[in-house]
Amino acid sequence: MALDSLSRVNKHMSSDRGGFRQKVNVPVLVAWLCLLAYGSLVIWTASLTIAEASFTRQLVGIGLGAILAFLCWRSDFSGLAGMTTILLVVDLIVLFSPYIPGLSYNAKGMTGWIKIPLIGLTFQPVELAKIITIFFMASLGAQYNGRIDSVREYAKLCGMLAIPFGAAVVAGDLGSGLVVFFSGACIIMMSGPKKEWGLCTIALLVGAVSLLLALDSVLDSMLGKDVLLKQYQMNRLLVFINPESDTSQSGYNLLQSMIAVGSGGFFGKGIGNASQSGAGFLPEAHTDFIFALLSEVFGFAGALVLLAFFALLIFGTIRIAHQSDSLFLQLACIGIVGMWTFQLLEEVGMCIGLMPITGIPLPFISFGSSSMLMQCAAFGIVQSIWRSRGKAR
Amino acid sequence: MDAQLIVIIAGVILVVAIIGSLLFLKGYSGKFTFDTANGTRPRATEGEGSTSGTKSNGRFKLLTAGVGAVFAAIIAKLWSMQMVSADHYDKLAEQNQTRTVTTPAPRGRILDRNGEAIVDNRASLALVAYRDLAENTVVVRHLANVLGMPYMAVLRNIQDNTEGAQSPHTIASDVRRSTIAYVVEHIDQFPGVSVAERTERSYPNGTLACHVVGYTGTVTQEQLDAQENLSDEVRAGSIDYQSGDIVGQAGVEYYYESLLQGIRGEQTVKVDADGNVTGQAGAVPAKAGSDIKLTIDLKIQRACEEGLKLGMEVAEQTGYEPTCGACVCMDCTNGEILGLASAPTFDPSVFVGGVSSDTWNELNDDEGDHPLLNRVIGGLYMSASTIKPFTSLAGMEYGVYTADMSSNCTGWWTGLGEAWGKKCWLETGHGTRNLETGIRDSCDVVFYDLGKNFFYSEKNPEGLQEMYRRWGLGAKTGIDLPSEAEGRVPDSAWKEEYRKDWSADQRAWNAGDMTNIAIGQGDILVTPLQMATAYCGLAMGGVEWTPHVLLSAVARDGEGDAYTYEPKKRLTAEISTAGALDVAYRGVHSMIYEESAVTAAHFTNLPVQVAGKSGTGEKDGEDPYGWFIAYAPFDDPKYVVCAMLERGGFGSTCAMPAVRTVLGALYDSPDDAAYTAGDSTR
Repeated sequence: MALDSLSRVNKHMSSDRGGFRQKVNVPVLVAWLCLLAYGSLVIWTASLTIAEASFTRQLVGIGLGAILAFLCWRSDFSGLAGMTTILLVVDLIVLFSPYIPGLSYNAKGMTGWIKIPLIGLTFQPVELAKIITIFFMASLGAQYNGRIDSVREYAKLCGMLAIPFGAAVVAGDLGSGLVVFFSGACIIMMSGPKKEWGLCTIALLVGAVSLLLALDSVLDSMLGKDVLLKQYQMNRLLVFINPESDTSQSGYNLLQSMIAVGSGGFFGKGIGNASQSGAGFLPEAHTDFIFALLSEVFGFAGALVLLAFFALLIFGTIRIAHQSDSLFLQLACIGIVGMWTFQLLEEVGMCIGLMPITGIPLPFISFGSSSMLMQCAAFGIVQSIWRSRGKAR
Repeated sequence: MDAQLIVIIAGVILVVAIIGSLLFLKGYSGKFTFDTANGTRPRATEGEGSTSGTKSNGRFKLLTAGVGAVFAAIIAKLWSMQMVSADHYDKLAEQNQTRTVTTPAPRGRILDRNGEAIVDNRASLALVAYRDLAENTVVVRHLANVLGMPYMAVLRNIQDNTEGAQSPHTIASDVRRSTIAYVVEHIDQFPGVSVAERTERSYPNGTLACHVVGYTGTVTQEQLDAQENLSDEVRAGSIDYQSGDIVGQAGVEYYYESLLQGIRGEQTVKVDADGNVTGQAGAVPAKAGSDIKLTIDLKIQRACEEGLKLGMEVAEQTGYEPTCGACVCMDCTNGEILGLASAPTFDPSVFVGGVSSDTWNELNDDEGDHPLLNRVIGGLYMSASTIKPFTSLAGMEYGVYTADMSSNCTGWWTGLGEAWGKKCWLETGHGTRNLETGIRDSCDVVFYDLGKNFFYSEKNPEGLQEMYRRWGLGAKTGIDLPSEAEGRVPDSAWKEEYRKDWSADQRAWNAGDMTNIAIGQGDILVTPLQMATAYCGLAMGGVEWTPHVLLSAVARDGEGDAYTYEPKKRLTAEISTAGALDVAYRGVHSMIYEESAVTAAHFTNLPVQVAGKSGTGEKDGEDPYGWFIAYAPFDDPKYVVCAMLERGGFGSTCAMPAVRTVLGALYDSPDDAAYTAGDSTR
């Protein structure tokens, strides 16, 4: 079926180049292809020294992702605008699926995985939940027609975001929760609230987080057990403030990551010469710390190339959002922008000591098929939105 | 970082910024307005009205700016890390992946003056393994069985980090060839175990000269702590010891540690995050320590040790059972020690690879003979009659007993009153004796009178002690060996202090104390080396050279001497009284040839004339301590030989054979006269 569709696209492309440009946003497509190629190169580099980083598995993931992107591109998502409740329910089911007996799959002591029955594939449902949440929030935000005049409505919107965010955090993955939160927040901000409200919310959040951190240590010492934030989460949040003083595991990880990035220099150490990622000093070098590996091997130059691809992808997507006629699709597109931006900021930021350490994959680059499939789907959705512009008219 | 790079980077950042702004601005060029009527799905019509395009554009501007800020922050941080601080992180990365593994350097050898090895190095095979092996209990147990070691001992050795965590750890050193062969043949059963070559101390002559060379051992915690406390300047010039290093712990090994110790080699290895060695990064080869040449002549050394043995055998014939003794042969013209023997001996090889606590306890048992004690420099004894030449010199120098005076010996001396009568060793009495014949026959009565005269001397009541000290008695000789004892020349101040608990009357220096030390008894304590050095001075007319065992240090490359010991004058004892020294010389010369036919028989067969003096120390409740000191040739002295046997009986019986054996070795003239318990002097 996929082949059949592809051949149709080919026919389409050859017959009408102008039409192709109408249906496919070329800059974003180029950025996506470049990122996939670059990511493959990085994972191939990692696979030389890291046994778990299987290059072929990554290629399979890219292939499946491409098919999924194609399918998404061919689909029309505007129908989802009216399915707010269904989206929320599905979102929650997906988020809590690792707790469903028969689905849950625990490997290496990690939670948050499911094993799909019959096929036997393992999958991180939170990756899918990110996209469902984006549609959910977009369907909510679109109801206000681009202008929210009442604080109550704004608060309601924020409250709705708290549901998937809370679910993602409770399901055990703070990093993914933050991605959900950030993309949702972007959608809310673009839905037309007054700027002052947004600023107040940010101020409130900062205050609440500080209070939580303070309260956590107080409560922990008072009750004598780990409540609120888990200790390792606390460590991860605080370690980036001064990585060299911390001898704990998170401090070690961050220090090793920063050494890897810093020692890469301008042109990097080159493939096969990277001691930090190659000799195992850099933990999770093919997943959470993939940017550190990339920076060590390809240096500042390589990092800039990566950032340029992401800039092309994200700014291109913002443009697609801007040109979309449907408020719902526009907001969904903004959600995807928020997701990519935050994942880039968090993944790169934690490698270089800008952000607390959380386990988030770098879209299109990190090893792992769940992320690859869903990010490719997001790309497909963006292209679908581009394709559907003007249709509503 | 050159300007070209900055241009490239600035260009890239500019391109990123342009892409972003172009993509965004393109949106403005369109006639985009947000039309509520057409722009949203049916539900959106429930909204409260139209949104102005400008407002929406404002939000998009904000979003673009926000995303741009993220990129800017990342690039700024990357710039500071990869461009500005790259060297810092590079260094950290280098530290991460390299470890320094040290390779032990062989110690210098210890040679005798002719270049023959006293202490050598030999290659030994050790079984080594990395620390991870400890986790494999099956292999460790198997290994323990093969080596015949307790499982726990093997495990402890593997886990012991003193050699450095990344270095292979020694499981067993000096392993038998057959065991090594078995392990190598069945290496598949011993994964991670390998054979390493080491150098160990070896002693080709066994225990010979053990007290001179000493022994080695693992550096002690106290030594490491002492090193920590040294100033940086001192440390910079000396060897930096690490836990586990082998250092000299006694004798020459200890005293000349800085010459003998080599410089550790350093191997830089690459390691991965788990500490596994993945490759070599560079190596500084180990430098062997300097070989050193001693003044010891192994031929003379053997003679010293055999002489002691002979002396003991002779003593046994006369009913004594000596087990301990000392014998030293010095060159009185420069202080070189040609032979230095102390009995009993110990085997320095038991310290190689660590001495067992059983052996250590045995060597240090208070009930035993303390074989580790070097009795030549560390044993303290009454000098007995060997001191009489110096007593005579004191009498003449201070005029309390001149060469013209004489005493009548009846065998019982009552110079201090009948109640305080003292025996001469010859209870039948010598008759009239002066200083010269008093030395010859070792007549105690002459020296009792001399001591009494000193005691009652107004001007120099302690002139006798001064004379002893003038010849260096009661003071360290300064030999280049550790743990030299000081000895003691007692006087009234010493007694006052030493006998604090006694009543004032008792602790007062009395005539009896004086007459005692005049014949080398009582509270006087000397080492055999002190007496030998004093006799060197006597033979040389007052000049004493500091005794030493180091001749030279051989250059590390093995060509020539890097350092040669310059003989140092210890002291010059001036005797101003004319003819006084001649009295002493005639005394010690006639003692050999005239006092007793039995003694003379052992020396007339030598090609040179000898002078000497015997001595027999009396210790309450013990058999007598026998001394004999001689120098030769009489007219142009070169060698001094001193022997002392604890509980060996008369000196001229038990100690004389030792001295004669050494003289025989010096002049290639073995003694052909039989040793019998003769009627010789004490």
